[in-house]
Amino acid sequence: MPTANPHRQRQRRRDALVFLAFAGPNLLLIAAFVYYPLLSNAYFSTLNWRMGATSATSAGIDNYIRLFTSPQGAEMWRVTITFTVVTVVASMVLGLLVALALGRRIPGVTAGRTAIFSPYVLSGVGVGMVWNFIFDPQLGVLGHVLRAFGARSPEWYLDADLALVMVIVVYVWKHLGFCAVVFLAGLQSIPSDLIEAARIDRAGALTRFFKLTLPLLSPTVFFLTVTTILSSMQAFDILKIMTPSGNGTNTIVFELFLQGFGPYQNAGYAAAISVVLFVVLFAITAFQMRFIERRVHYA
Amino acid sequence: MSHRIRQTRAKRVTTTFAVLGVAALGLTACGPAVGSTDASGSTEVDWASIEPAESISFWTNHPGGSQEVEQQLVDGFTEETGIEVEIVTAGANYEEVSQRFQTAQTSGDVGDLVVMSDATWFTNHVNGSLLALDDAFAAAGGDTSTYNETLFDDYLYEDAHYAVPYARSTTIYYYNADHYAEAGLTEAPTTWEEVREHSLALVDAGVTDTAFSFPPAEDYPAWMMNNLVWGYGGGWSDEWDASAVTSDGTVEAVQFAQDAVQDGWANVSSGSPADDFAAGATSQFIGSTGSLGGVTETAGFEVGVAFLPGGPVEQELVVPTGGAGVAISAASTPEEQLAAAMLADHLTSAENTVAFSSQTGYMPVRSDADASALYAENPNFEVAVEQLESRTRTQDYLRVFLPGGDLALATALQRILTTDADVEESLAALQAELEGLYENDLRPQLEG
Repeated sequence: MPTANPHRQRQRRRDALVFLAFAGPNLLLIAAFVYYPLLSNAYFSTLNWRMGATSATSAGIDNYIRLFTSPQGAEMWRVTITFTVVTVVASMVLGLLVALALGRRIPGVTAGRTAIFSPYVLSGVGVGMVWNFIFDPQLGVLGHVLRAFGARSPEWYLDADLALVMVIVVYVWKHLGFCAVVFLAGLQSIPSDLIEAARIDRAGALTRFFKLTLPLLSPTVFFLTVTTILSSMQAFDILKIMTPSGNGTNTIVFELFLQGFGPYQNAGYAAAISVVLFVVLFAITAFQMRFIERRVHYA
Repeated sequence: MSHRIRQTRAKRVTTTFAVLGVAALGLTACGPAVGSTDASGSTEVDWASIEPAESISFWTNHPGGSQEVEQQLVDGFTEETGIEVEIVTAGANYEEVSQRFQTAQTSGDVGDLVVMSDATWFTNHVNGSLLALDDAFAAAGGDTSTYNETLFDDYLYEDAHYAVPYARSTTIYYYNADHYAEAGLTEAPTTWEEVREHSLALVDAGVTDTAFSFPPAEDYPAWMMNNLVWGYGGGWSDEWDASAVTSDGTVEAVQFAQDAVQDGWANVSSGSPADDFAAGATSQFIGSTGSLGGVTETAGFEVGVAFLPGGPVEQELVVPTGGAGVAISAASTPEEQLAAAMLADHLTSAENTVAFSSQTGYMPVRSDADASALYAENPNFEVAVEQLESRTRTQDYLRVFLPGGDLALATALQRILTTDADVEESLAALQAELEGLYENDLRPQLEG
């Protein structure tokens, strides 16, 4: 039986102490403010509990069953998936087109880049309020313009489907700049000699884009896919400001708010929603890392 | 080698279980007590032996822009009693105050006297966070007999009151008197059939495109339309029974509203009917008496107000109350509770309720309040007070007591009024939703 080297043991102990001295405070904070709430939340999701009540009844997995079987739960998933898919695709496609335009050497391109990116750094609350002044059918700018042409403004706030369209438009407008700037950085990192070589080989513009540029942009596409999905699934501020009670716009995070802190005050059910949100985001990210990243071409 | 691996694995498993065990203990220690029930304010206190606390806190959202008048009233209280009061802005609206009050329960740092709306006090009562205040109020020398009975009984549940009326309102009928004159109309409608006739006359006379506005989901349509369904003999619930939503009276009333929109003499406002009315975009709407001051000030025409119209079944008791009261925290000490009861009585005294009304537009809550100065300032106020005294009725349980009940009603009403959805089917779905909310979210707590 081999005996442990005392010197090595002392060294390990010293290393462990140094590790604890440096990482310990941070680990403690992370445990207190991330993992403890995470576990608490999972526990609360098994309760029928109203926020602020000192007592609760055990609900087992009823909150989860309700989330996946109730009509309200089904509506939440429909809205969440629609909102996420449309905003991710629109932000990325439009962002790429804008990046291609901004990548050209034309006058005013720097001002264009600033203008495109600036909505991204604005507060979602402010953006929502300003767009309310645009969409309001009676008092909004859009309504005035439409009336000038003899048309009536659609009822953006009363029709649940139009309300969803409205918040998608505003969300894409706000986040488009981020995708455009990241795509622009990706485009500028593509070696120009490759493009030049393709041009010499008489590859057309479309061929160069689809056979060369796009594959070489795949790390950027991958990065943006991950970040925009995570961001879209957690969208809240614009939705809350423009449609306070979630008429047709109750995505998973908005529903979580309405259930936990809004009119329903059902903290147990809200906790179950947040556990499911965590699992879904974790699964999406893991899937992307495991399967989609394989197809990425790093230059 | 494999022995060491097994040892390491065993250690890891043990450590994991130990961590999970500690975490589980921590979680159950900090969470709510599972399986037990609250006994809100049920502890017997010998109020005669209690001295009021020297300082308390008052949590408010300053309803109706009342920050200044609240400070004046509280200063008067401190001068009179020597009790210091910290006024805390606990939210921008009733819901935020309630939300903060609820989340603060775990820390225990809650207000002693708290503004609670008709739609938020009950949940806090069920949570065990409010004191049944009848005894404390009596010990504080308060007189509850002069409160408007309907307003006071809005806070009555199982023989105890959990708040006293403070910033109270009702709904009232607003009309554009100039439009009426142009259309040759001399009096406000007294029934919903007359509302239809007046509206058609206004449209036919070409004075307006939209004669009447219903509120959108964000603007409490279930409250504003309570009058209509009561007039038709329906309601949003009969205590906890949601079948009233699909009763003949409710179906007829909601069908009337849908027809009004589809026939073109009414619309659903995309913002606020009060704003549309003040801007001259609509000629009539039902709104809160709390808007009286604002609408009169903003409108560039003569504003008329009238009693809410009756229906084919009920003509008298068709006015729902609204607004907020003040409640006492169950977590406060008896000394603080007694001082809070004294403050509640002071804020709502006959003299002070008129002072509060004159600054905000809410209704005086005492029957012995002399509101003649208010009437002189705004004659429409007299109509509102007369209506309060003779026509009001306590609201239906599922709208004000059921968490999410008002939102479910509001969403369904907006959908029905803005589409050609089948009224009967939509209300049946609404009934099922309300029943589901009650069974899942409230009944277990009510039954303990």
